[in-house]
Amino acid sequence: MIWRFGLFESTFAPLVSTHWALCIALGFPFLMGLLAALFPPKRMWPVALACLPVLASGWVLLSAYDQAGLLRWQWDVAGVSLSLRLNGLSVLLLLTTQWIGVAAALYTPGSLRLSEPQPLSRWLWPLMGVLLSALSLIWLASDLLTLYVALELMGLSAVGMLLLSGKVAALLAGMRYLLLALVGSLAYLLGVALILGHWGRLDLQGLAAVVEPGPVAWIAAALIGAGLALKAALFPMHGWLSPVHGNAWTPVSALHAALVIKASLFMLLQLWSILLPDTFYAPRVIALLGMLAIVWGGLLAWRTDSLKTLVASSTVAQLGYLMVVFPLLLGPDIAPLPRALAWEGFWLQLIGHAFAKAAMFMAAGNLILATGESTLKGLAGTSRRLPLSLLIFGVASVTLMGLPPSSGFTAKWLLLEAMLISQQWWAVAALLTGTLLTAAYVFRMFRYSFDDSAPRHHYQPLAPGMDLIALSLALTAFGLGLLAHFTLALMRGGGV
Amino acid sequence: MIASFDALEILLALGLTVTALACLFDRHLVRACCFFVAFALAMTLAWWQLGAPWLAAVELLLGAVLTGLCFFYALGRFFPGVSSSLERDSFNEPWSRSFARLLLALAWFVMVGAAIRYVITDMVYSPDEQPLLLAGVMITASALGAFALHRHLLRRLLAFNILGSGVFMLLAGVAGTSASAQALITVGLCIAWLGSMLGALLIRQLLHLEGVDALGRDGNPKENAT
Amino acid sequence: MNAAWLPVTTLITSLLVVVIIFSLPEEARRLRTTVNLLAAVIKIILVMLMVGRVSAGREDIFSFQVVGGVDFVLRADALGVMFAGLSSLLWLCTTIYAIGYLEGSANRKRFFGFFSLCVTSTIGIALADNLFTFLIFYEMLTLSTYPLVVHSGTQKALDAGRVYLRYTLSAGVVLLLGAVLLHYLTGDQSFSSEEGLSDYLNDHRGLLTLIFALLVGGLAVKAAMVPLHGWLPRAMVAPAPVSALLHAVAVVKAGAFGILRVVYDLFGLQLSIELGVISVLAVAASITIIYGSLRALAQEELKPRLAFSTVSQVSYIILGIGLFGPFGTIGALAHLLHQGLMKVTLFFCAGNYAEELGIHRIDEMDGAGKRMPLTSIAFTVGALGMIGLPPVAGFITKWYLGIGAIRAEMYWVVVVLIASSTLNAMYFLPIVHRLWFRLGPAHGQGQWPKEQRLGRLETHGWLLWPMVFTALASLGAGLLAGMPFSPLDWATRVATGEYLP
Repeated sequence: MIWRFGLFESTFAPLVSTHWALCIALGFPFLMGLLAALFPPKRMWPVALACLPVLASGWVLLSAYDQAGLLRWQWDVAGVSLSLRLNGLSVLLLLTTQWIGVAAALYTPGSLRLSEPQPLSRWLWPLMGVLLSALSLIWLASDLLTLYVALELMGLSAVGMLLLSGKVAALLAGMRYLLLALVGSLAYLLGVALILGHWGRLDLQGLAAVVEPGPVAWIAAALIGAGLALKAALFPMHGWLSPVHGNAWTPVSALHAALVIKASLFMLLQLWSILLPDTFYAPRVIALLGMLAIVWGGLLAWRTDSLKTLVASSTVAQLGYLMVVFPLLLGPDIAPLPRALAWEGFWLQLIGHAFAKAAMFMAAGNLILATGESTLKGLAGTSRRLPLSLLIFGVASVTLMGLPPSSGFTAKWLLLEAMLISQQWWAVAALLTGTLLTAAYVFRMFRYSFDDSAPRHHYQPLAPGMDLIALSLALTAFGLGLLAHFTLALMRGGGV
Repeated sequence: MIASFDALEILLALGLTVTALACLFDRHLVRACCFFVAFALAMTLAWWQLGAPWLAAVELLLGAVLTGLCFFYALGRFFPGVSSSLERDSFNEPWSRSFARLLLALAWFVMVGAAIRYVITDMVYSPDEQPLLLAGVMITASALGAFALHRHLLRRLLAFNILGSGVFMLLAGVAGTSASAQALITVGLCIAWLGSMLGALLIRQLLHLEGVDALGRDGNPKENAT
Repeated sequence: MNAAWLPVTTLITSLLVVVIIFSLPEEARRLRTTVNLLAAVIKIILVMLMVGRVSAGREDIFSFQVVGGVDFVLRADALGVMFAGLSSLLWLCTTIYAIGYLEGSANRKRFFGFFSLCVTSTIGIALADNLFTFLIFYEMLTLSTYPLVVHSGTQKALDAGRVYLRYTLSAGVVLLLGAVLLHYLTGDQSFSSEEGLSDYLNDHRGLLTLIFALLVGGLAVKAAMVPLHGWLPRAMVAPAPVSALLHAVAVVKAGAFGILRVVYDLFGLQLSIELGVISVLAVAASITIIYGSLRALAQEELKPRLAFSTVSQVSYIILGIGLFGPFGTIGALAHLLHQGLMKVTLFFCAGNYAEELGIHRIDEMDGAGKRMPLTSIAFTVGALGMIGLPPVAGFITKWYLGIGAIRAEMYWVVVVLIASSTLNAMYFLPIVHRLWFRLGPAHGQGQWPKEQRLGRLETHGWLLWPMVFTALASLGAGLLAGMPFSPLDWATRVATGEYLP
């Protein structure tokens, strides 16, 4: 498992151009955010211009990884060593972050212009910049201190963004999220303290070599796991998710659902595979919770009347799919084949869900913005008037349902095969039930939208490009299904 | 010399515990905030005592001054005219729920204690040689209990801050004051301050929009809270 | 020489239409019609090219890797090309018909977009060469049919859509499980592999039976086999072209075609017989045939009667598989084409009666032969074919099935065939009698429910000519069955390929 996260020595030192690309990837979003706070962009093109260097840096890092394999950076600052590493998985997640982040940033000007003017809206930009920088740092960091810094920056900027809409419900939900996130990070810190006290080091690569199973590792893993599960909204700690997503601005909930909770999950898996490489029970507990999450999240989404709650509850269920895979990734006696299949399926599902969920939030936001209604019943007749937004919602939900040819389907195929090989029938049942539940709540929404008998409302026209951005995200999630080979080959390249 | 050194440490530990408990369980909010400042000052001394002057300086600036200011801002002491200032926490919980939450906190306490016991084998033989560490465990446990118990947002924020300090104390006790540990604690202090600031702004905004009742609702919409 | 572009282009042609239609505005009626018809014609030409290449013994393969061990493969083989030909021919007819049928109604962009997507999926199903690819298009078909079923947006349509999804998505999950189990057991199994799965028989008999049950069970829902047929009659609320498409080509045939693929190309006939699953299939098909006919007899409206008739008729294909002999296979394959032609004719007629005269119930049809002679002649041809009377195509099928049953010494099947034909006659002949021999509004007695004069002829030309064409085709398929490239000839070619590799 360790080598899959790229925790080994690199063959080549990074080139100068790669250094620059790294600096841009990590720092540029933040700088541009500050700039945008001073001069809030009103149109899409300045944002696009600012995003170009970031995308270019992602591309440079990708080609650097392609040529040189794993890359490492290390600095010593005042006796503390900080280290970064770039392996296939990091590149993949970094690119995902950049593309979704750019899409959300491009979506923002139109969305802000059409909703009622807000005094705090200019502060969205620096917070979004910090969030993207912190996320990029999380994928790259390979010591516990850097991870902690990035996690906290991400958490605080996420809270800040959620609060900006200024509605009372958002404030209450945000306060709750803030307190939980802070306590979660203290739990994480305590776990790190135990590790530091017992083994005396913080770099993941060194830790992977010295950690041996024992009570300290277990307790540290439990503390870190509890803290990160709280932040990742893993069942049963998902309570804060729906109100937070339901009340935030659309690009904010898109970013949050697509990336922020995934970052905590990524850290959880990475740290557990160092601390608990061979435990039997912990991943099974997670898997059990995952099954419950699939069912419970699906039921929540099925019963709700609000569109945004539907989308948010579906996140709970979709995280369940990822949790169910844990016993195939961590634990003793897993054959190499199912582990490899599960590994690829896990990340494909995660990335596909990130794109699809971002697209879905944007489509839902467009529908709500255009109709002025946030309930499912308010959608009646939209299939005639807003076919494109609805189509985007549909394409994104195909990925969530895991129907072909989306990435959700390919991921599900891989996961199912891994589960069948290792004879985990419960997980198979959970996955298939999840498909049906997802279909149930998605088509419940479509049922309302196809209803033609409703009276016609006045629909607010959307800004140009708002639908196109969401569409491109949805199509990416869709296309990753058939083109999964290229994506997954990138991840495999670092290991062999 | 060693005996006096120990006595000072024990005194500090006692002071920390008492101020923390007073801050956590005093329903009078202004007094609780004053106790928090006192607690932060004691923490500063403790860092100094542990041989980490850098941390002491950071704690003094961030913990005592800036976080303290945040709390008094949240209380409405700076701009009293704008909206009502906070005096007392008057929210009550059904005690079955409090009991469940206390149980959770107790479980946490046991787990942390066990972890510490495994990491520092010396402590098993002579627990009184590490009074600050003991204080850290006490503070962490009671702060977590308070965090679980309270509904008033300001008190939860206070509990979080105390919990943070307790965790830092544990960290220092477990891992010593190496450069890495100091860096972790510094980051933690900054985060705690930023979090408190955000929280204080939020509390003010909520008070402004909804009045005092909003602070006890724990994220539930108005209809559900009775 | 491998012309990989041929299957891909065929697929992409129809996919491109979907994209174009969705990006055109709702008002661009003329452009949309042009694109639609042009693509349909191009696709027929491409399929004809494939037919030519297959008959010359070449099979074009297109493939790329999706993930390790799973490929996306399209292959133009005889069976696939047969289904592709049927769907592209009937697509052209149905598109023309739909343009006339939906004249002036709302949401046409959505309708034609998903209609084309539906046909794309059908082509994909026809050309898929492994279970993974098949599944992709099979599920795409499910999704793209939903907006067509609920097209009218009424409460009844929405309820029907919900029932439809319940059946088909559950079936999709079952099918997915079967497909992954098979992949886990054997790796990527191509439909064209010669070996079949007989190597696994000794060690994995139970698992193979389970996989067969899962696969065929999942497919049987779309093939509307009893007791999994519940969605089909309810889906009748859709507009007539959709019903025609659902019943004649796309959905039910996709299910039947899938079962053909599983039995002949995946498991191999030999293995299926050894597993003992074929006889079960034959019995299930017989039950469906009789049950469907009985239910059809009880219907008072035209479209539901046709729907139950479909339930019964599609199972002839399954029955043909169950006769394990070349004649049964030829009968099954030929019926895939014949039933498509005849059923689409009948639905076109039903749509015409409803549009022109407002007729929905059977007892309103008295004397309609005088008012709409061409439509009624077409209906009569279709009905006679369904009963199995010469010289219409349906006769050929029943003849081959009968011979197959006698050769296989399964005399109870002959009884089923006779019983079913009798029942078919009982529910179709009264309609034909009403059309021609009862006096009705055309003779000055009473009134049509809702008469419209849609065209110079008995109805709108867009509605009339596709129907005339399919009626002639079903007549021709029966009369000219001996000619090369007739459905029977092609079915014989496929069956020979199966039995004499």
